[in-house]
Order: sequence, then structure tokens, then C-alpha cells
Amino acid sequence: MLVVNDENLIMTTVNSSEIQQMISRYLNGDLSRTEQEKLVNWIKDSPKNQRLFFELKDVWDASHKGSNEKVNEQLLKFYRKQATQKRTKSISSWKSVIAVAAILVFGLVIGSVMQMQFGQDNSQLESFYVPKGSRSEVTLADGTKVNLNSNSYLKFDTHFSKNNRIVHLEGEAYFEVKSDKNHPFTVQTNNFDIVVTGTKFNVSNYHDDQLIGATLAEGKIELFTDDHQQFEIKPGEKISLDRKTNHYELNDADVESETAWIDNEFIFKEIPFPDLIKRLERWYDVRISYSGNELNEMMYSGSFKNQETIWQVLDALKLTSPIDYEKISFRKFELNYKPM
Amino acid sequence: MSDFDHIFRKYHNSLYLYANKFVRNESISLDIVQDVFASIWEKGKLELHDEHLKAYLFNAVKNSCFNYLKHERVVQDHQQRHIERIMQLEQKYYKSGEQSLIEKENLDKIYKAINALSVINREVIELSRFEGLRNKEIAKKLKLPVRTVETRLFRALSELKEKLSKNNLRILLNICALIKS
Repeated sequence: MLVVNDENLIMTTVNSSEIQQMISRYLNGDLSRTEQEKLVNWIKDSPKNQRLFFELKDVWDASHKGSNEKVNEQLLKFYRKQATQKRTKSISSWKSVIAVAAILVFGLVIGSVMQMQFGQDNSQLESFYVPKGSRSEVTLADGTKVNLNSNSYLKFDTHFSKNNRIVHLEGEAYFEVKSDKNHPFTVQTNNFDIVVTGTKFNVSNYHDDQLIGATLAEGKIELFTDDHQQFEIKPGEKISLDRKTNHYELNDADVESETAWIDNEFIFKEIPFPDLIKRLERWYDVRISYSGNELNEMMYSGSFKNQETIWQVLDALKLTSPIDYEKISFRKFELNYKPM
Repeated sequence: MSDFDHIFRKYHNSLYLYANKFVRNESISLDIVQDVFASIWEKGKLELHDEHLKAYLFNAVKNSCFNYLKHERVVQDHQQRHIERIMQLEQKYYKSGEQSLIEKENLDKIYKAINALSVINREVIELSRFEGLRNKEIAKKLKLPVRTVETRLFRALSELKEKLSKNNLRILLNICALIKS
């Protein structure tokens, strides 16, 4: 039963080889735009057509032999991902212990694979990288604990020990340095070095941030800059470098907000919009683009505690500020100015 | 730990196929499956028993897929408009309660059914699904016109569909026979 005369007439029977070929082309070939339209119309024409189409497509979708190799690879990827995520439960939980151990192993494996020259002799370098969307805790050989924020690198010599305490940081980390007056602990960054004997402090120097610096929670730190300045920081103080002006400033700090990220709280006080965007990108491992000079002018303050998804954050921002957002593709968002 | 391993290995292939069915993108499908397994790892849904756990996993994947497709601005290009319409119809179809073979059947059973197809039909399924060849490439390989390959693919899928539903029917008949006797 074939209706053939007019191209625009819908093929109502599946015995039509044309429909059969279009279905095959939809699944595994190229369907022209006209054919696509014909196919849609045929599907919509009757529930019987719809059922037939989707059942055949389902058979196609289900025909696969499966790959043990892929499963193994994915399982490994799954465990690695779990190991590099920050444990919010107490360290007495066995999962956390294994996770931290896994982090150290993972970090060291990366270190031995990436033998980077550090501008000196052939001393080997260990490095540890925390990807965007993650945070990790590492304990160094001297007992110093380091909390690393998203998109941060911590590098140290293979010979790092309690007598030789030098690390290099790109990104953000919170250090709890094991006290040893005879062997100072040095954190090197691209702009400044911090030397301490035993303290708790936060260092933030993402290479794409305009403002970088260090905040002191406890103890005392000495900061030596690339241009030969020296600063002594006291608890509750924060030193920041504005990369644009190359100007260092010492201020009182809200240590609690600056270090809240360690407890998975995302707190920000009076920060410019571009910085907020960068932080969100790192924290949630997303890409956010925006247009509108009005947005650039604004300062933002807020806090998100254990917000699980970027959606919740963006929805909150949408309610409280003149912002609207749209998802462009997987993990990509676009923000625009929308007066309240 | 080994419980989780066991569940991961048992369901990964099916869940990946299921996600890919809707999303049609390998890396996104893999990501979605990873996220769903992460949710049972964290939420401790491992205590759920087989059928419940299986239902949870498939539903979670399906919802993630539909969510992804809803938020993804797939159609910028008018050329994709009809394709997107088909995807929408498909989502509606499955939202209304239809179940995919991927969820209903053991993948092994499907694989066996493929092996039991007529030679010509099995060949075109293997070349397209197992080796990933497109219709034009199969035509080239088998030295056939593309239209022939297209018709063969359609027939192969029809035969496979019939085989798989026959299995169910046979089981049903056997059960009826048992009950009657």
C-alpha cells in the first residue's frame, strides 16, 4: 500500500523502502534536511509509526558488545576522582585515611613522571596538582599540613625533609607549618617568598588573579618580595600585591572568611566581579563568560556553605543581584546584566 | 569496597549505552555515568537490593540525560531542528513509561541474539555497531550500493527486534504452560 504521487504526501507504510532507508540513515548515515522533516512527520503520523521507530532505534542503541577494558578504565578513573576530593568527614573515617594516602601516592607518582628542571642542577622535583573543582589536603615529610585549593600546584624537591623545608606554590593553599625554630619553612611563589618557623597562614597567588598575597592566622611570617622588599606580618594581618600596580599593601584581615574554603565554605567579601567569576570557575570547574561593563563595576560579597552545584550559586546570584544566566553547553555558562 | 566494584562492573556497560542512547556523545555519557556512581558511593545506596538499585541507577542516568539535554542549547542551527524534535519525542516516549531493552535485558542476551542472526544481517550489525563503520563505509567495504546497506541495516534491526521479543514470548508461554499443568 504505497502512496507515491506527490513528494509532500506522507509515506504511511513502513514497507516503503524510502522510510526504511531514512531510518537507517538517521541511525548510521546522513539524513538531508528534507528527509529529516519527512521522517519526523512519518513518526508523528501515528502511534504505530512512533512505536516502531523507537523500538528499532532501541534495538540499535542496545546492540553493542561492551568493553571490559573501558569498564576497567572508568573504574580506575572513578577511584582516582574520589581520592582527590576533599573529605569533609573526620579523619578517623577509614575512607578519608585511604583518600589521603591515595593523594600522596598519586602526587608522588606524578612527581616522578614529570621530572621538571627547576632552574638549578638536576635535582628532582615532586609536584602535586589539584584540579579545578577539587580541594585536597597533603601532609609533608616534616609533618606540615597543607590544604590546597582548586587549580593549585605544590612543588617540592625530592629531598624535602625536616632539615630542608622549601616548597613552591602556584594557586592557593593554607599551611599549618610544623614548628621548628632551627629550620625555617619557605614557601616560594613567582612574586614573593614566605619564611616561617611554625605558623598557620593562607597564601593565594593564582597566576590569572590581579590580587595575590598571604593572610596570617597564627604565628609570624616574613615575606621577601622579588623587588627586594621585606615585610613582617602579624596574626590577623594580610599582605596583598596588586599585580597591575606592583604595589604591596598590609591590611587587617578577616582570617575566617579568607580561610573558609578549607571547610568547603565559599566566602567572599567586597571582591570585584571578575575575581568572583574566576573563583567560581575554579571552585566548580566550569567556564563562565559574561558581557556588560555594568557587571565589571560591581563589588560582591556573599557566602555559600556546602552549595553543591553551580546552579544553586547562580540562582542565588540571580535573586540577589542584577544578573541573569544561561547555560551554553556542558559546564559553560553565560552571564549578563539584567537590572533588578 | 568490593561490593561497589562488583556493582560498577555489573552495570557500567548498560548504563553507558543507556546514557549514550539519549545524549549521543561518548564523553558526556561517560561523565554522566561517573556522576551517578559517585552519588551511590556518597549517599550509601549500596544497601539497596538488586532490582531497586538497578532501577535507581537507570532512573538517575535517565534524569541526568534529560536534564543535560534540557539545559544544553543544542539547536543553534536550524538544520538540527528536526533531529531535536525526534529527540524530544523520544524523551516523551520514555517518560511515559516505556522501557529500553538496555534496561530490561541482559546485554549478553542481546549479544547472543546478534550472533543468532542470519549471516548477512549479523554482518551489517557487527560492522556498524561493533566496528563503528558508517553506512557509506560499509558500502565501500562490501562493495555494495549504499541503499542496499541501508535496507540491510533496517532488516537486521527488524530481525533482531523480532528475536528479542520472541524470547520474551517463549518465556511467557512456558510460564503459562507451567501454570496450566
